[in-house]
Amino acid sequence: MNKQPLAITVNGHERQIFVAPYYSLLDTLRDELRLTGTKKGCDEGDCGACTVILDGKPVTSCLVLAMSAQGSDVTTVEGLATPDALHPVQQAFIERGGLQCGYCTPGLIMAAVGLLQDNPRPSAEEVKFAIGGNLCRCTGYTKVVEAILLAADRMASQC
Amino acid sequence: MLRFDFLEARNLRHAIALLQRHGNDSRVVAGSTDFLVRWRQGFWRPAAVVNLKGIASLGRISFSPRNGLRLGALATVQSVESNAHIRRRYQALATGATSFAGVQVRNLATIGGNVCNASPAGDTLPALLAFDAQCTIAGPQGTRTLPLTEFFLGPGRTALEQGEVLTQLTLPAPMPRTGSLYIKHSPRGAMDIATVGVASVVTLEEDGRTCRDARIALGAVGPTPFRATEAENLLRGRTLTPGLLGQAAQAAEAAAKPIDDVRGSAGYRRAMVEALTTRTLQHALQMASGRAVTFEEQRRLAVQTAF
Amino acid sequence: MATFKVLEQNNPRVDAWEKVTGRATYAGDVYLPGMLMCKTLGSSRSHARIVSIDTSRAQALPGVRAVITGVDFPEIRFGSGALKDRYIMARDKVYYIGEPVAAVAAEDEITAEEALALIDVQYEDLEPVVDPLTALRAGSPSVHPDLESYEGYGFTIEGGNICTLLDADRGDVEQAFQDADHVFEDTFRSQGINQGFLEPMACVANVEANGRLTVWASTQGPYQVRAQLASVLDMPLSNIKVIPMELGGGFGAKLRLAFEAFPSLLSMKTGSPVKLINNREEVFTQNGPRHPVTNYLKTGVNKDGTIVSREAYTIFDVGAYLGAGPNSGIGHGLGAYDIPNFRLRSYAAYTNKVYVGSYRASGVADMTFAVESHMDMIAHNLGMDPLDFRLKNAIKEGDTAVNGSRVPRNGLFECLAAVKERLGLPRELPEGHGVGIALCEWRSGTGPSTASISVNEDGTVSLLTGSVDISGSDTSLASIAAESLGIAMDQVIVARRDTDLAPFTGPSGGSRIVYSQGKAVELAAEDARNKLLALAADRLGVPQDALACADGSVYVQDNPPQSLTLGQLAAMSVTSRSGPIVGNASLSTLPYAPVFSAQAAEVQVDRDTGQVKLTRYVQCQDVGVAINPMAVEGQLEGGAVQGIGRALTEDMQFDPETGAVRNPSFASYLMPLALDLPELETLLVRVPSEDGPFGARAVAEPPGFGPPAAIANAIYDAVGVRIRELPLSGERVLAALRGEGNDVAYIGDELQELKRAEGLAV
Repeated sequence: MNKQPLAITVNGHERQIFVAPYYSLLDTLRDELRLTGTKKGCDEGDCGACTVILDGKPVTSCLVLAMSAQGSDVTTVEGLATPDALHPVQQAFIERGGLQCGYCTPGLIMAAVGLLQDNPRPSAEEVKFAIGGNLCRCTGYTKVVEAILLAADRMASQC
Repeated sequence: MLRFDFLEARNLRHAIALLQRHGNDSRVVAGSTDFLVRWRQGFWRPAAVVNLKGIASLGRISFSPRNGLRLGALATVQSVESNAHIRRRYQALATGATSFAGVQVRNLATIGGNVCNASPAGDTLPALLAFDAQCTIAGPQGTRTLPLTEFFLGPGRTALEQGEVLTQLTLPAPMPRTGSLYIKHSPRGAMDIATVGVASVVTLEEDGRTCRDARIALGAVGPTPFRATEAENLLRGRTLTPGLLGQAAQAAEAAAKPIDDVRGSAGYRRAMVEALTTRTLQHALQMASGRAVTFEEQRRLAVQTAF
Repeated sequence: MATFKVLEQNNPRVDAWEKVTGRATYAGDVYLPGMLMCKTLGSSRSHARIVSIDTSRAQALPGVRAVITGVDFPEIRFGSGALKDRYIMARDKVYYIGEPVAAVAAEDEITAEEALALIDVQYEDLEPVVDPLTALRAGSPSVHPDLESYEGYGFTIEGGNICTLLDADRGDVEQAFQDADHVFEDTFRSQGINQGFLEPMACVANVEANGRLTVWASTQGPYQVRAQLASVLDMPLSNIKVIPMELGGGFGAKLRLAFEAFPSLLSMKTGSPVKLINNREEVFTQNGPRHPVTNYLKTGVNKDGTIVSREAYTIFDVGAYLGAGPNSGIGHGLGAYDIPNFRLRSYAAYTNKVYVGSYRASGVADMTFAVESHMDMIAHNLGMDPLDFRLKNAIKEGDTAVNGSRVPRNGLFECLAAVKERLGLPRELPEGHGVGIALCEWRSGTGPSTASISVNEDGTVSLLTGSVDISGSDTSLASIAAESLGIAMDQVIVARRDTDLAPFTGPSGGSRIVYSQGKAVELAAEDARNKLLALAADRLGVPQDALACADGSVYVQDNPPQSLTLGQLAAMSVTSRSGPIVGNASLSTLPYAPVFSAQAAEVQVDRDTGQVKLTRYVQCQDVGVAINPMAVEGQLEGGAVQGIGRALTEDMQFDPETGAVRNPSFASYLMPLALDLPELETLLVRVPSEDGPFGARAVAEPPGFGPPAAIANAIYDAVGVRIRELPLSGERVLAALRGEGNDVAYIGDELQELKRAEGLAV
């Protein structure tokens, strides 16, 4: 099973790489592209730590065959901040204490970014539903939800 | 050998040809959400996977009063959950879809994949059964249709033959005065595999009291999801009193053949069939009577964050 | 409350930016050139003699660079404490399903996995024992037949598989029971629990050109890993450098050596760096979780509600090895109450299951569930208000704690009062709804702690400690340094540490970092400040006691413009007689500082399904001083949610025949999700501790203790059924509502046997 060519846009950069046919998008991002911000918590789609935005939607990248993402557009946690500023969701996580050990944080941030793309003014319940696929063992989620609502407020008032 | 080859199907005909060529050594993938988990766990060890995801024509959802709902097999669970026609007319299917896994998985998983995996606990399956879904199956010999009730043969086993692909599910348009709901019994509000799942569809006569049709389907209480036909027969043509709903729920419980596992004992599952059948019927009846229930409220009921 | 410039402020975490951008580097994020991947083969048998292991086919697979088995390691047993009961990899016997029997290093992970399938292990099965009560009985199959010959074994009581017996006694417990107006007995059982950290165990090992071994580890205790690794590899400790990477959650599971020895030995064999990352199933099946605990309580009470005596027996299952001790049984059998007469026993039994590990104050949550459920039951029986009954018996300043220490000033009563006020207790709720409380106790953790602070020429300071950051402890330590030195938070640089660089310190666990390590930082800062003052006194020509240190400067108190900045002083110090300014501190233990927390749950119970919905959760803890209120709240919220999971949904299930883990995944081991939780209400009480830094107390452990009992008590309040076994699942509640027997077996008969063996009258 030789590696196969994969053309994929990651954080705005077009990449031409070769990946093993059995490789997941998650392993590709980490092992081939060394974008290690996306985390592997379970490799079974149960924890959400590997969440990335794939063609506009948050997905668990451990459950995506890399080769099936041919021609796709992927945003990872490394693709959110500009050199000058953090993404509002990142900023809000810091200010509201929405992170502790940090391992689930990239996945939660990407799930939140995915939510706010579709629903810029979510209720607390909608936020909880949108991060319903993300496990966090440290925070108890209260401050995560607060952070996402704060980011939503700020992003909406900027528009 | 753990490694497998990745074969991209350019179109349906190509997919069928690839499946024929690789035979039992190959597996179809679309969302790959079940495949990758089962492969890593060692249950599935194909030499090749045939990827259908690129066949755009298989992902469409359309509705017309005449033809009903057509669900392309590659429609994602998320697109089913958020489809306005489905939310309005096939509430049990929308609630089944919304109670499935988490957002990230629903964005990948396909309705066809949920059907073809034939898990007794598949969250969209009771609703599809309760809405009388028909399967369209393409294969080397052409296309055939099969009622979904005949599609499931056992856990993970379906009526698909070598080289065949499920391409579409067709659900007849519900009659007026129809309401429906799926409730999933599970310890958490998301991500769980159902301990029990029940979908009920109720259609009332013009008098608003008599049951014109009732369909009840049960998940996770037998080797396949199935229709509780005896329970349904108790309701058709009768006035739906609380007592009668209770009798139907008991008939559904009697039809359940659950097992003990980490998620619950057989006895508890049976008790849940009764409780959830009663509840889904009550809500379906109210919705059939014209009570508006928002999708958010349906979702709370479906995942039991509202009792 | 004292006024602070840095403490009591919601400063952002020092590592926040790295973590929200994905730049923080965890062990699994380490990639080295030529790195090999390691996978381990787990035993398929519960209890068996290893007849042979044939690795030749695996060795021959292209891409495989080395295969090791137990005999490739020195024949040295190690242990988590004094008792050495375990080989790092099975040698002649396997003791549980999943126990590592071989490991492979290959050029990629899939090749390593394919190689595992080619290893042929021949076993000769032995009879396993899975249930700890069975294991304790004479005549049970023996897990460790040669136990008495193991180094560190010190228990002489006859019995099947007694690994440890701990005891604590005071007064005449039998007489007190005879004299008491009422005696209550109950047995409680709590379930198997997984720590549930999100980052699977991971490490990279590399033998450097100079022959030293470097290990990039996911650990709470780098010095413990170094010592244990040196022991199992029979290598000088000084030949090993452990670099603790960012820690993706540990909660006690990563306090000690885990699998670091496998890639280490494989690196020594191949000369290449080797990485090991557990998959989630391996985390569940190979890495010490918590086993079910049975707690039996007997309490003598007088008519007026005064508790006079307590007997507590804890039956603790350690699995195959003593990964963590049963100390909770004797340490917490009284709860937060003053009880004059007691007999406390903790039995730990070996069984053929994965060895037990530590988890967020191991065993105390189990005991709190028992004690606080029992307290509620007694209160109801006596017709007393549950809160008043607790107030009547609560331990007070000046009482003697179970450990013999005098109880110092604390905020127990303030915590109970705050929760009572927040909820308006006692309170009537609608049918199907209920409220329950729990009172929790713990102590501030202590142990060896060190810190070093250097003042830089630009006025910043570099803080070096050997402790790994957990739950923001680096931020807390930096805050303490900043407060002590009168500088801003962003003037403190927290150095990256490893075991070569930083002074020895105890592991990050047991709620000890802020209290003890924080004290070391406070003392190191004081040391640095004294040196700054001395130098400034010299340069400004004033007596040292005329000076003060604040806002980044040392100034003359009567004439503030007469000052030197820390930067100026640091620059001067380089050429001064006393040399560069470095503050150091080293301490062993601090005095007993209890921590109390009062918690309350409101629930709604679904009578048709038994499902329990948590509708409100309030907790109040005495934190002494809040180093960083946002971080403190975050810890309390996270801890409570772990406890809520323990109360309602989490349940590691073990096969009763084989001891295998039946649900080794996050799809079947159910940790709470955002959707399942009400907004948590977190209240802080501040009664400063006598010895902690600025009066701080420990924070992390108590929040997780209360939920099981508070929720069980709320269920009783809602629907009148008492559940004595965790989790409080829908199935259990429904069975109780329907009057079907699904309750914990009373363990009186087993206790008689244990007491007889102890030589007690039965």
